Amino acid sequence: MANWKVTLLRPDEEHGFSSFQDGVFLLFFFPGWWFLMSYKDYIKWERMPSTWCPGCGIGIVLKYAAMAIDELKIPKEDVVVVSGIGCSGRSAGYFDVESLHGLHGRALAMAEGVKRGNRKLKVVVISGDGDLLGIGGNHLLHTSRRNVEMCVICINNEIYGMTGGQMSPTTKKGTVTLTSPEGSPYNPVNAQGLITSNKDHFYARSSVFHLNHLKKSIQEGISRGGFSFIEVISYCIENNGRRLGFKDAPEMLDLIRKNYKVNPSPAGKLGDLELGIVKT
Amino acid sequence: MKELLMGNHAVALGALKAGMTFFAGYPITPASEIMHFLANKGIEFVHTEDEIAAANMIVGSSLSGRKSMTSTSGPGMSLMQEAIGLGHMMEVPMVIVNVQRVGPSTGMPTLPAQGDILQAKHGSHGDYTQIVFYPNSVEECYRYAIEAFNASEESRSPVIFLMDGFVGHLMETVDLDAIPCAIVPRTIPGLGGGNRHFTGLLSKNGIPCTMNSDYYREWFQKMKSKATSVSDRYNFFEYLRGDDAKTLIIAFGIVSRVVLPLIGKYSLFRPIRMFPVLEKELKEIASGYERIIVVEMNDGQYKGEIERVLKRDVEGISLIGGDLDPTVVGEKIEGLSNGKLESYPTEAR
Ligand SMILES: Cc1ncc(C[n+]2csc(CCOP(=O)(O)OP(=O)(O)O)c2C)c(N)n1
Ligand code: SF4
Ligand SMILES: [Mg+2]
Repeated sequence: MANWKVTLLRPDEEHGFSSFQDGVFLLFFFPGWWFLMSYKDYIKWERMPSTWCPGCGIGIVLKYAAMAIDELKIPKEDVVVVSGIGCSGRSAGYFDVESLHGLHGRALAMAEGVKRGNRKLKVVVISGDGDLLGIGGNHLLHTSRRNVEMCVICINNEIYGMTGGQMSPTTKKGTVTLTSPEGSPYNPVNAQGLITSNKDHFYARSSVFHLNHLKKSIQEGISRGGFSFIEVISYCIENNGRRLGFKDAPEMLDLIRKNYKVNPSPAGKLGDLELGIVKT
Repeated sequence: MKELLMGNHAVALGALKAGMTFFAGYPITPASEIMHFLANKGIEFVHTEDEIAAANMIVGSSLSGRKSMTSTSGPGMSLMQEAIGLGHMMEVPMVIVNVQRVGPSTGMPTLPAQGDILQAKHGSHGDYTQIVFYPNSVEECYRYAIEAFNASEESRSPVIFLMDGFVGHLMETVDLDAIPCAIVPRTIPGLGGGNRHFTGLLSKNGIPCTMNSDYYREWFQKMKSKATSVSDRYNFFEYLRGDDAKTLIIAFGIVSRVVLPLIGKYSLFRPIRMFPVLEKELKEIASGYERIIVVEMNDGQYKGEIERVLKRDVEGISLIGGDLDPTVVGEKIEGLSNGKLESYPTEAR
């Protein structure tokens, strides 16, 4: 608790708090204290710079997830962020709330334990495509079926970034990776199909370029009151992009801009290159 | 009130008594009765998709503030190993019950065994200090389930509760109300309100610290002495002295019940806290005996531990295969004592 107050009220240029006491006063006596908060209060700035490569898409998701939570005015003490293992899995540790960084593939199982252990908590899971759709696929199938309330943000960079660039379940057919030197022989997993096969579902696809849409999707997901899955189209410059001939991160981002279009009212299903929300 | 109870039900009752309010598990013989029993006891109960989920789920539920348990047998125990290591790294109190059956693999599902002793000690990768209990009666299933929760709270680490299919399915009359028990309350604040970071990486105050070898050694020492000093307060064992006995039998779980008729001519040392091995007690007691025979339903797993601790020759009888005939066990011990059998007569009965 003490920790939380100190971090929340750390004097910074945006809030202009002059002292810790001011902050405590505002916190307890000014009922609208959260108007003074910004997404920045949800992030552990003392841990920056992050472990991510310059230009990586994961940082964008970190920021917009924090923004989404902040704008929903969920008190920090009620938020728990859970991650699995991978570059994306490092996200949890940068949130200035209680956070868990568990085993590769098991984020959902641990998150379900957290939620069922204390239903007051708002649980947000941030992890990678390999983590959630590969090694953790079985848990995704069943946690979504049980419709446990949590918002799962899957950062899909179509690769195993952390381990150097191996084929992931979302790698597109034909893509060269360390474990598919001849090009991936398989079609990628259909996350939308998997999630929407549940009678009760919330599936959103967004991207690290379509930021407003990303934030809105996360907000809707968190507010749903059940299981929500948000696939965020991202990219990995260092362990995938360069091998594929991309010069830098903006080039990859630009491809997302060109390829994906938001469909504000999809009829039950999103096309392969559409972003939007499919829900019951 | 006296009642007829099954070992598996007694563990569940002990857990409830200890304050467990979260159970996650996956069905498996011979442990399923534990989860059947807990399915309608008003606690948070999850029949998960697999044992991996169960073990990871109780890491989460324990951190969020509930005393938590899972139960399984060999195949499920193998699946849980990674999460047990996570529990040690994150310092999570949790209890894992393993009602042992014959392995490896699917093995002989309905027959009891003691083949997961070393797995209990060191099943997850890396070094860690595991506390393990092993009762031998229905009453003890209840009593030591409570102690398992207590020890896990105090040590803030996963505690493994070993049983065997025999003890799990044993029916005995017990009076649970007559069993005295002290309950250790929760030792960590539940999730919410702070900004703690729990990670499976080596970390210092929640910040990953994965390249600092000196810090690893410092952390490891701290963890080890924590587990050891807590387990010192849980040094449960039974010692039955036979008058003029020159041979000490070491047995645990159901085997310790089967050898009972021989005690008198022999003495019995029965560890209940299997790990960390009761070194001090063992050394003291063993020093009075010419021979030591470890009788266990595996190929000498605990015998190795005893030899390591006592640094002397120890004989063993290995009762593998899942059947347990008191006459045969008696004959083997006699045969070994009078030199007619060699140590480790595993071949024929
Ligand atoms: C059980 C287990 N197997 C393998 C690994 C090694 N590993 C770490 S991260 C990772 C892949 C992560 O890929 P993804 O989830 O897509 O995350 P990204 O790094 O791309 O963000 C693997 C295989 C591990 N940590 N644990
Ligand atoms: S390896 Fe790829 S996914 Fe990982 S931080 Fe670097 S750019 Fe991002
Ligand atoms: Mg990935």
